[in-house]
Amino acid sequence: MLTKLAGGRLFDPANGRHGEVADLWLRDDRVTANPGPGATPDSVYDVTGKVVMAGAIDIHSHIAGGKVNLARMLMGEEHDRHRFTGSACGCGGGSGIATPSTHTTGARYIEMGFTAAFEPAMLGSNARHAHLEMSDIPYIDTGGYLVLGNDDFLLDLIATNAGQAAVNDYVAWMLTATQSLAVKVVNPGGINAFKFNARKLDLDEAGPHYGVTPRTVLTVLARAVYELGLPHPLHVHGCNLGIPGNVATTLDTIQAASGLPMHMTHIQFHSYDTAGDRKFSSGAAALAEAVNRTPTLSVDIGQVMFGQTVTASADTMAQRHTAPLAHPRKWLAMDIECEAGCGVVPFRYRDKSYVNALQWAIGLELFLLLDDPWRVFLTTDHPNGAPFTFYPELIRLLMDRDYRLAKLAEIHPDAPAHTTLGSITREYTLAEIAIMTRAAPARILGLADRGHLAPGASADVTVYSDLADRRAMFERPDLVFKSGKLVVRDGALVAMAQGSTHVVRPGFDELIERRIARYFDERIGLAIKHFRIQDAEIRHGAGPQLHPCKRREVP
Amino acid sequence: MTFHPDILCPFCGLGCGDIGIDLDDSGIAPRPSGCPQADRLFRRSAAVPTDARMSGTAVSMDDAIAEAARLLAESHAPLIAGLATDVDGVLSALTLAERIGATVDHERSDALFRNLAALRRFGWSTTTLAELRNRCDLVLVVGPDPAAAFPRLWERWVVPEPAFVPDGARSVVFLGGEPLPETAQLLGGQIETVDPGARDLAMLVTGLRTALAGRAAAGDPMTELAARLRAARYTVVIWAAGLFQGPQPDMIVEGLVRLIRTVDGTTRCSGLPLSGADNLIGANQACGWRTGFPLRTGFDAGLPLHDPERFDWRRRLQDADVTLWISAFRPEMPEFSTNGTVIILAPPEMTITPEPALFIPVGTPGIDHAGDVFRADSVVALHAGMLIDRGLPSVAGVIGRILAALDQTAKVKETAGC
Repeated sequence: MLTKLAGGRLFDPANGRHGEVADLWLRDDRVTANPGPGATPDSVYDVTGKVVMAGAIDIHSHIAGGKVNLARMLMGEEHDRHRFTGSACGCGGGSGIATPSTHTTGARYIEMGFTAAFEPAMLGSNARHAHLEMSDIPYIDTGGYLVLGNDDFLLDLIATNAGQAAVNDYVAWMLTATQSLAVKVVNPGGINAFKFNARKLDLDEAGPHYGVTPRTVLTVLARAVYELGLPHPLHVHGCNLGIPGNVATTLDTIQAASGLPMHMTHIQFHSYDTAGDRKFSSGAAALAEAVNRTPTLSVDIGQVMFGQTVTASADTMAQRHTAPLAHPRKWLAMDIECEAGCGVVPFRYRDKSYVNALQWAIGLELFLLLDDPWRVFLTTDHPNGAPFTFYPELIRLLMDRDYRLAKLAEIHPDAPAHTTLGSITREYTLAEIAIMTRAAPARILGLADRGHLAPGASADVTVYSDLADRRAMFERPDLVFKSGKLVVRDGALVAMAQGSTHVVRPGFDELIERRIARYFDERIGLAIKHFRIQDAEIRHGAGPQLHPCKRREVP
Repeated sequence: MTFHPDILCPFCGLGCGDIGIDLDDSGIAPRPSGCPQADRLFRRSAAVPTDARMSGTAVSMDDAIAEAARLLAESHAPLIAGLATDVDGVLSALTLAERIGATVDHERSDALFRNLAALRRFGWSTTTLAELRNRCDLVLVVGPDPAAAFPRLWERWVVPEPAFVPDGARSVVFLGGEPLPETAQLLGGQIETVDPGARDLAMLVTGLRTALAGRAAAGDPMTELAARLRAARYTVVIWAAGLFQGPQPDMIVEGLVRLIRTVDGTTRCSGLPLSGADNLIGANQACGWRTGFPLRTGFDAGLPLHDPERFDWRRRLQDADVTLWISAFRPEMPEFSTNGTVIILAPPEMTITPEPALFIPVGTPGIDHAGDVFRADSVVALHAGMLIDRGLPSVAGVIGRILAALDQTAKVKETAGC
């Protein structure tokens, strides 16, 4: 099957193309070089004047697993209100906006031209569930980031000075057993401390029982991830999420990495200062400056958008602080398997609330003050800041200053004074959007054949009309191809496709397995043979797509 | 004969992974596990009839599939229930339900909905089995002993010494219920029973909440229990809502959930609502991710619709014209009465009177084929392996063929211009 997309403007920053007019050729599920004048394509699409990009990639979106399903159960009213029929192409019906069901999730992503989304908080004990659920999401590629840093096994390794090599082996074993793509740390040590009834844990505070500080957990894990050579740096959800003044902790956390690569996630929630009468103001400028001058750091924003959503997080400690603000007034919490936890708190962000308005402004401020689009990613921390379906609106806010100022004028009148947003003139370009949503996510996750359009790349392609209204443009692409198959035409699903699951598998010294096996027998009450997820379990036997790791030593 | 020491058990929902079985040409013989369910349900004979039956007469599988597709395609108010199968089986049942406009429910969902009613109104704070085993210094058992439904609960999750309790000591307090003799034997001196007279369970929970609020009358035995909850480091409140008697059992659950929140405000306290035999939890999880709703969800012209009362399978049996009953784990049927046509997917050992319109034998997940099941604490999913090949298809396999037959019929109709 040979397909030709003729005459489009290619935005393919990984290959240095920023709007050049060129034909794009797809052969089966891959981008291919121009086969020459004698070739007869099976189908030709005239995309003259259209914007052609690789399929977009969401690096941080809570789309699957226990906490998402719990959120669906809790948000019954929302699901009652938003129900959808399936399409003739085989994509099933479903429900929900903030926590859409699996087929609805796949449909909404592909309709916007996204061909991959990654679940950023997969617990080892819940990994099989997350994989079962991810394989039921059609159209998009997926993968999970394994949550570590509150697991009793790791804290015990650190507390007993087992050494970095043992930690590395454990991390590698867990990634392999759970079929994960990356490592995420959530409130390092804090979730564990909460199980011992600590309600707060600062970066340099020794946690209960183990006497280990969050800083130590963070650096030990960052080093493990670096030395194992995982493509994605340690994905960090820091301490003190949502607490006024936490920008100081966030700046300290950057220091703590001391040169090791780190990805700091949903930094909007970690950028709060305490200026003003309300003791709540933007810390975005200071944080952006620190990120700009630290090339080993990457960030995603976790933009807040106004409306009803639900927050779902492994950070039980932070969610306990948020719970009194629940809207509607109900919430869930869970302690999980000597490993982590989860908290689910429904939330309605209101533009007339000073705090919510400022959160919105802080997120935009960060986007606009961070100068390297290769190190900043478009996220709403779906569904925590807003459902992922708000991305087109968010892109318009970034690309259109007049629109942004008009929106700024609508929010709580006291909020603008506490951010620099009104004075920022920057508008993102199409090339920068292509970097931030395609090339950079693929690079930061180590997905060599995704996020670009060179020959050999996966034929995941999105074609947009170049509309002045960027929201309308990104909401409804003209064409979306997944693995070479046309699946969306003029915003409507026309065919079914399935994505792949991406994983890494750094090796480990098998000696660690004996120690882990004993721990599982004695503490977890489940033999490791039943814990470990086999390749054949991934996507009904299709198995995962492996990405190489290159071991390194800390200089 | 070969011995396999660490087989995963898919039945009650505790997910024990240490079942020993002997396997030979005659079939599977389990070694005594301490669990009557595992001992009974792992025992399978290799030689079983694999024929489908139409009103009691053996038919080929092809004919049975065609007949099932015809009955389901022609039905106006179909019901897919029982739903006792692995996750793949449940997902295929949901695909079929959407296709034909059926509602789905699990045979044992009563207990689940008592808990879900509280969850959906109020939320909750819960924990998992490994946290119970390692962190809990005070177990408060509310209502009847859950070991009646989860036989090895105490042996595997409470008898082992907790890792994070300083002197390793923990107490197990029964409120409004008595430990079974086996439980008493296992836990011995750890057990205490609070028996403040003949009040019902709802009253007891309210009494304890009153005491926690500091408003109990002088001398109320709940005052002491409330003080112990406040003093414990990590209390786990365990209940099996399926065993609650009396009206409005969901109100008991909500009382417990509120009680847990109160105690958890100052020290740690979590609930462990147990329900989940025959992959009930897996069925609910899969229904949740596929539709956005719990079980008792149907499809009306492709739109999912949830109704916890109307779509209870017992009620739906009254008006369903075709019922597809799925029971892959055990050869047992609940009391069953319907005027509609019945199709049963069950192990060949199942004896049914009267014979249904159609019986299609299927294998058991974790015995005849591999399959995923959820543990009762809802977090851990387990992949139960295949032990024996008796030529029995999986539920997902059978429903997949029914769906293919429905597609074929639709295509023929399209061609004919229907």
